[in-house]
Parts: sequence; structure tokens; C-alpha cells
Amino acid sequence: MSLIEPLQNASEDALAEGVQASSRRGFVRANLLGNKQAIFGLAVLAVFLFLAVFGPWIEPYDPLAKTGPVYAPPSSAHWLGTDDFGADMLSLVIAGSRVSLGVGFFAAVVAMVIGGSVGVLSGFFGGKTDTFLMRITDYVLVIPDIPLMIIAAALFGRSLTNIIIIIGIIYWTSTARLIRAQVIAVRERVYVKRARALGAGNSRIVFKHVLPQVAPLLIANTVLMVAVAIFAETYITFLGLGDPSTISWGRLIENAFNGEATINNAWWAIAPPGICVTIVILALTMVGQSVEDGLNPRLKVGHLSVRRFRLRPLNGKLNSG
Amino acid sequence: MRGSDYIVRRVLYALVTVFVAVSLNFVLFRALSGDAVTALRCKQCSKAFKEAQRRDLGLDEPLWVQYKLYLGNLARFDLGNSVPSEKPVRGELIEPIKNSLPMVALGTLFAIVVGIAVGVIAAWRRGTAVDKGGLYTALAFYSMPTQWLGLMLVFFVAGAVGLPTSGIKTATLGLFTDASTWELFVDRLRHMILPALTLGLVLYGDYALIVRSAMLETLGEDYVLTARAKGLKNRTVVVKHGLRNAMLPIITLVALSLGFIIGGAITVEYVFSYPGLGLLTVESIDKRDFPLLQAIFLLLTLSVIFFNLLADLLYFRFDPRVRT
Amino acid sequence: MIAVEDLHVWFDLPDGKELHAVQGVSFQLQEGSRLGLVGESGCGKTTTILAMMGLLPPTASVSGKVLLDGVDILERGEESVSPHRWNDIAMVFQGAMNAFNPVRTVGEQIAEPMKLHKSASGREADARVRELLELVGIPGDRASRYPHEFSGGMRQRAAIAMALACAPKVLLADEPTTALDVMVQAQILELLVDLTGTLGKELGMSMVLVTHDLPVVAQVCDLAAVMYAGEIVEMSGISAVYHQPMHPYTRMLFAATPDLFGDDEVLSIPGTPPRLDREITGCAFRPRCDSALGVCETVRPARRLGSPGHEARCHLNDPAIAQAGS
Repeated sequence: MSLIEPLQNASEDALAEGVQASSRRGFVRANLLGNKQAIFGLAVLAVFLFLAVFGPWIEPYDPLAKTGPVYAPPSSAHWLGTDDFGADMLSLVIAGSRVSLGVGFFAAVVAMVIGGSVGVLSGFFGGKTDTFLMRITDYVLVIPDIPLMIIAAALFGRSLTNIIIIIGIIYWTSTARLIRAQVIAVRERVYVKRARALGAGNSRIVFKHVLPQVAPLLIANTVLMVAVAIFAETYITFLGLGDPSTISWGRLIENAFNGEATINNAWWAIAPPGICVTIVILALTMVGQSVEDGLNPRLKVGHLSVRRFRLRPLNGKLNSG
Repeated sequence: MRGSDYIVRRVLYALVTVFVAVSLNFVLFRALSGDAVTALRCKQCSKAFKEAQRRDLGLDEPLWVQYKLYLGNLARFDLGNSVPSEKPVRGELIEPIKNSLPMVALGTLFAIVVGIAVGVIAAWRRGTAVDKGGLYTALAFYSMPTQWLGLMLVFFVAGAVGLPTSGIKTATLGLFTDASTWELFVDRLRHMILPALTLGLVLYGDYALIVRSAMLETLGEDYVLTARAKGLKNRTVVVKHGLRNAMLPIITLVALSLGFIIGGAITVEYVFSYPGLGLLTVESIDKRDFPLLQAIFLLLTLSVIFFNLLADLLYFRFDPRVRT
Repeated sequence: MIAVEDLHVWFDLPDGKELHAVQGVSFQLQEGSRLGLVGESGCGKTTTILAMMGLLPPTASVSGKVLLDGVDILERGEESVSPHRWNDIAMVFQGAMNAFNPVRTVGEQIAEPMKLHKSASGREADARVRELLELVGIPGDRASRYPHEFSGGMRQRAAIAMALACAPKVLLADEPTTALDVMVQAQILELLVDLTGTLGKELGMSMVLVTHDLPVVAQVCDLAAVMYAGEIVEMSGISAVYHQPMHPYTRMLFAATPDLFGDDEVLSIPGTPPRLDREITGCAFRPRCDSALGVCETVRPARRLGSPGHEARCHLNDPAIAQAGS
């Protein structure tokens, strides 16, 4: 077992995830944010969710139709201008939210199911199962994510479904580790031992006792995984490997690149989709990390501060009579 | 566990992983080649043609035989021939690697230096505007898709400061007049800056967050309070007790990230048409040049394994708790 | 000698209120004497000694004086108190096992304050480090070892050695024996008694020992101050506190201490300490007191001297009130 294991396990137990590229961020994000940020993040996500769900009714124009001149700057007719085809950018961006958020969500679910199952099996049964599964996890971790994803996408997936599956299959490892640590902690708890002593079978223990304890962490992790998945989708579509029949934010960035938006000075074709991705990822990060922090509270107080304690003038009234 | 024991174990483990990676690489690309040939849809792709392809790629032999062949070739550093050019893959890799390495190194260095600076200061001045500023800029850059940031830089920065936005060399340089080594060097550098900056900014976000987190952890430890109680000034405490200790997780996490950076550089090189390993990867996918792809993939996997091992060894070197 | 005069500490709370953690604590320590500060957790004893060194977080505000040889070191806050850290006042922290930075050697860390305050450097510092280690019962060559190579008890000793590095006038010890097993506890306490005795005589070093453990105070200290809800409710020489407690809390504390050889029932004090984020009317202990009078509900008891050197905050000691009945 790698020496990094203690670091990973300690950080998992205490506050964060292992050390795969994306899950390194877990360690990082602890100590990050508080409640206000979580609320802000949720608000932002709600807005985008609304856009995604009610998009078709909100879009000012049909996103696929040519409704204006090519690369027209923002105007009252087209708030975000038009793209290289003449389609309205605002409609495109709103339409894009559906696919981007959708792919992100479902890919995260796939990763969660795989990772969660591996984590639960590994943590609960321990022993050889654990060693075997963790070895596999180690090997999967060693494969560079983006190249693999790109190759797989090129070969298997110009369809959304395939892309979702590909992303899920590559990114389940951090979830597995996190859940495994949690399951191990729960496994040792008194009520589980008691249930076992009373003769409860394994599946009963897992479903009734372990899963409920693990679920909140799983959900928090899934939120963060959605962010990873959205990123992954943008990379895939940017390289031209996405589903050609769908609009996503990643696709819009690709369009801007291939349509030479920079040469045409059309910042409105480049900026909005990327800003949307950035904001959504930010919001997801804030929410996911706040939840994780809430579950693993870190009571550490800093012992160092640039500000100092204050002095109050002596007040005669304060002397007890 | 004694020191030398530990090192030996880690190296052995890494070697095993290398072997597994090599084997997986073989399986993956044999399967892919097989599928790719099957999936070939083109005018002259009759059954006979496909059979010929299979024979060319050695796909008609039993798997076991192919595997031994593959390992044998690897041992002699023979990575096969590139499909379109029919030239040895080995040769095709050299130039792109020579191009990618300095660019990636530049970006990573930038990210590390600025990331550590911002992370330390943010943690030190926790709760102040400086902290929030550093935190949110780091979060923002970390949340940006690399390719989009690249495009934004091209759009808003390149023109303003007159930096080139594609390729690695100004085509006209040295064409009509002799260009000095210095000029060539500077030209190279100028072409590297934007891609490196793009890479660096996104990485910076990640690293700054890591450093800040690690520092905050450390600054909450008891020995920091003791250090203050001993009368040490804040700055001394931050460096000698805070940073010194936080370097452990920081070094580890940074080293681990290094293995994945080339993968991340793919989109950057694509945006800037920078002829490095990343761009080569995309091109070979386009051309279905499997031998080349296989070699690149193996290279990338090996670098991840290498940096993992490095991280382990560094941790071992710097954490006295492990060494005795 | 060190004196604390009417020390108050407030902590800002997230909801905008304040926690009045220390409420008018005053005591004096002569050279060479040892004061035990006793009380339940949350009573403010740790905050008091942290305030003496100015080691309070930015959420804290302080009033009162900490007089070191007559000079108020808290006068200008951090600025005036920091030069005295370790030089004049040093601390052995709670859970001192973690007082050491794991990636540096113990010797380096003991020498650190010496170099900082310029009391010794280089080889001289190394020699002193070894002396100090020997003083606390650790072989001098251990100085080049790392903290994780020491057992819990030895780390505690090393922490004590570190505290003595600059020959402070006052040693503050916060629960020095918690988290150690019984045998080691006894050794540490013996060590403290020895050290403060010897150093007390030679250097005039005094000690404040904070603990919730009464027998510890009995063993080590010559003065005891009992704290409750941020106040000192009783203070006197050790035997007076034991044999003639003036405050019901003190009395009940002793009754609640298991006596290994006695057959008395172990009584616990029902109830919990009051919240300190709101103003308390009357005596803070009244809700848990077994001898409360009517006046206790409305009037805060003042500091009252019983016999010389024995004070308490309790209406029961006021002859006028006691006579008037409940």
C-alpha cells in the first residue's frame, strides 16, 4: 500500500478525499467555505436548473435557426449577439444548459453508483475483497483521465449516452475511496455490532444501517462529481468528439473556436458559455464542499491571526460589588 | 518500517504497476484496433481489405503470441510504426515531447510559485479581504474550462501584448535572413507564453487552494500556539512552523498532480495549435493511428506512475515520522 | 511576583452576543509559591492563564491588569505582552504532547526560544538544552530526536523542559497530567513539585497549575483558587480549602471526589454551570447550591475575607445575612 494511503485515509476520515487528480480537490476544498456560500451556490444552481428545465419556453429564438446576421454583436434583438451561423447566442446558451447539466448529472450518478458500490463492498467486507478492489482502484487511478476519455469518446461515443457512461467509468475512483473510509468507520460503530449480534444478515445491515450513514457523504460527493463531469464533457466536445446533434456549453465553445470567433472579434460567442460553466462549477463546488464540511466538522481554530485581541478600558462598574 | 525497506517496497510496487499498465495498454489497444478495423466503413473496406489490415496490425495471431511480441518489442524500445506515415513511432514522439516539456514546465512552475505565495498569504491573513480575494480568484480559475480560458486569453490578451497565438515558431523567422540563436530562442519563448499561462492559471487555482488548505490545517495545530507562546513573531511562525509542515502534504499533492498535467495540456495545445504531445494525441486519434496512440498512452501512464512514486519518496524523505 | 487584577475576558459570539468568560479574577503570587486554579471545564481557568500571556484570539476583548513585578504587561495589549513571553512567563499547554512540531527535533524546539530571546545560542544553547532535559529526567542525547520518538510522558517532560528554557519567573501549567496514565501522572506531578521547589528557591519561580483534578492540587500546590462561571469563588492556602471550605461549591467539589480509602458516598453536583453569554443576576452558583438563601437570587456575593489569606464569594460568610436567616 502506498504511503500516500495514510495521508489519504486520514484526510478522508477527517475532511477530504484521496489523491486522484479530481479528488485532490477534496482535500483542498475543506477549510474553504461557510453557510452563506452554500446558500449562494444553491441559488445559482437553482437559476440554472430553472433555465435548463424551462429553457424551451424561455429561449427567445429557436437556437438552431438562423435568426440574425453572422456574428452580430449584442443588441436589443439579440442580447448576446449571434454565432457563426447566425443563431441567437442567448437561446443557444440557455439550450446548452440542458445538455451540460444533464450530462453532468447523469455521469455523476453513474460514477456514484460504481464508486459507491465499490466503496461499500470494499469497506464492509474488508479482507481480500477490500484488497482486491482497492488494487483495482489503484490501477484505474494511474490511467491518465483525459487521454483515456478522449480515446474512448473518439471510438465509442458520439452519442450522449455513451459520453455519460464513459465519464462515469473514468471518475468513480475518488467516490470509492471516500465511501470506503466512511463505511469502515460506520462498520465499527456500536449499533452495527449490536445488529450483527442480534443475527442481522449482511444485506440487512448494509441497507438499514450502513447506507443511511453513508448517503449524505455520497450525495455531497456526487455534487462535486457533477462539476467534474461537466468539465469532462466540455473537454470531449471541444475536441470535436461530442454528440453532433446536441447543443451544450462545451459545444458552443468548440463552435467559437472552429468558427474563428477570435478573428471575428466576437467575444459574445466565446465568453457566455464559458462563464456559465465557470459559475456552475463554482456553485457546485461551494455547495458540495459545504455539505461535506457539515458532515465532517472541522473544529480546528487557527492559532495565528493578523488581528489581535482587544483591550477594554477598566470600568468601575465591572468590579463586582 | 526501516527506511531502505520502505523505498524498496515502493519501487517494487511501482514496477508491478508499470507491468500492469503495460499489459492493460496492450489489451486496450488490441481491443481498440480490433474494433476499429471492424468499424472501418469506407469504400474499399471489403472483407478482404479488412483481413489484410488485420494481418498488418498483427491481429490475426493468437492473443498470447501478440502479447509476447509486444513485450519483446517494448524491451527493445520498439514501439511499432505509425500507421499513416509508416515511420517508427519512437521517432515521431521526440519532437512533440521536446516541444511540450518546456511549455508545461513553465506553466507548472508559474502555478506552483504563485499558488504557494497566494495560498500562504491567504491562510496567514485568514478571514481578511486578502484571504477572500485570493480564495475566490483561485476558485474562479480552478472552475474555468482550460480551453475556454485559452480562448479568452487569445481574445483579450494576445493582441494587447502582441503575443503569438499558435504554433511554436514564427514561420518567416530565419526564412529569408539568418536568425540568431537568441532570436530563435526568444521566438520559441514567445510562442510558449500563452499556452503556458493558460495551463498555469488553471493549475494555480488548484495549487493555491491546496496550499491554503494545508496551511490552515497546520496553523490550527497545537505546536503553532506553542510557537506563538514562545514569543515568535507571526511571520516566523508562518514560515518555520506553518509552511515547513504544510510542505509535506503540498509536495505530495503537487507531485501527484504532475502526472496528469500532460493530459490536461491536450486542450491547451489544441487551442494554440502548439505542436506538442497533447496535439499529437488528438491528431493520432483523428487518424486512428493506433500504434502511435498506444505509445503515447503508455508514456502518459508511465509518467503518472513515476510521479506517484516520486511523491511517495518525497514524503518519505521529508517526514521524520515515517523514517524511523 | 505576579499579580492579576480584576481580569475580564469576553469572546465575541457569532450571533453578535458576547461570552463573558472571565469575570473579575484577581490573585497574587509571591515568588516561589504555587497556585492551583481548579474548576469544572468551561469555568474560565484556561482562559485566565492564556490571558496572562496575551494568547487570546482576535475574538477576545480583555480588561484588567496583569502585573509582573508591578508593571502591567497587558497595558498595550499584544505589543506590551509579547516581549515577556517565555522570558518571564512560560506555559505548558494542555495536551502538551502536541506542543512539539513533528518535523523538527525536540532539541531545536527547546533551543528556539533561547535563540529568539538571545539568552543563548549555538553550542551554549545546545548545552543548556541537554541540561534542561536532564533536569526533567530525560537523557541529554535525546535532544536530536524527533517528538514521535518520545513516549507521551516523556514528551510532557520535554514540554516542561522547553517551558523552562528561558528561566521564566512564572510557569503556567494547563492540565499537565490529563491524557497520561496514572503512573506517569504521578511522576510528572512529582517532577513539577521538585522543579518548582528548587527553582522556586533558586530563581523565585512561581507556578499556576490549572486543573479540574483536586487531588493534583493537593499534591502540588500551596495555594488553591476555585473557579466557577468565570469567577474565583474561593481562594486560600491548600489546607484551609480542604478542611474549612467557605463556599458550598468547594465543599461539594470535595464531596464529589472519589476517596480511594474512604467509605463515604461519592456525591455529584447536580445541574450544569450557567451560560456565560448572558448577564447573571445574583449568585451564579445558586441553582446548584444546597445551602442557598433568598438573597442569593438577587444579590451577587462580594469577595469577603474569612480568616487571613482565605477569601470567598458567598453570602453564607456574611455574618449579617447569615444571621438574618434564609
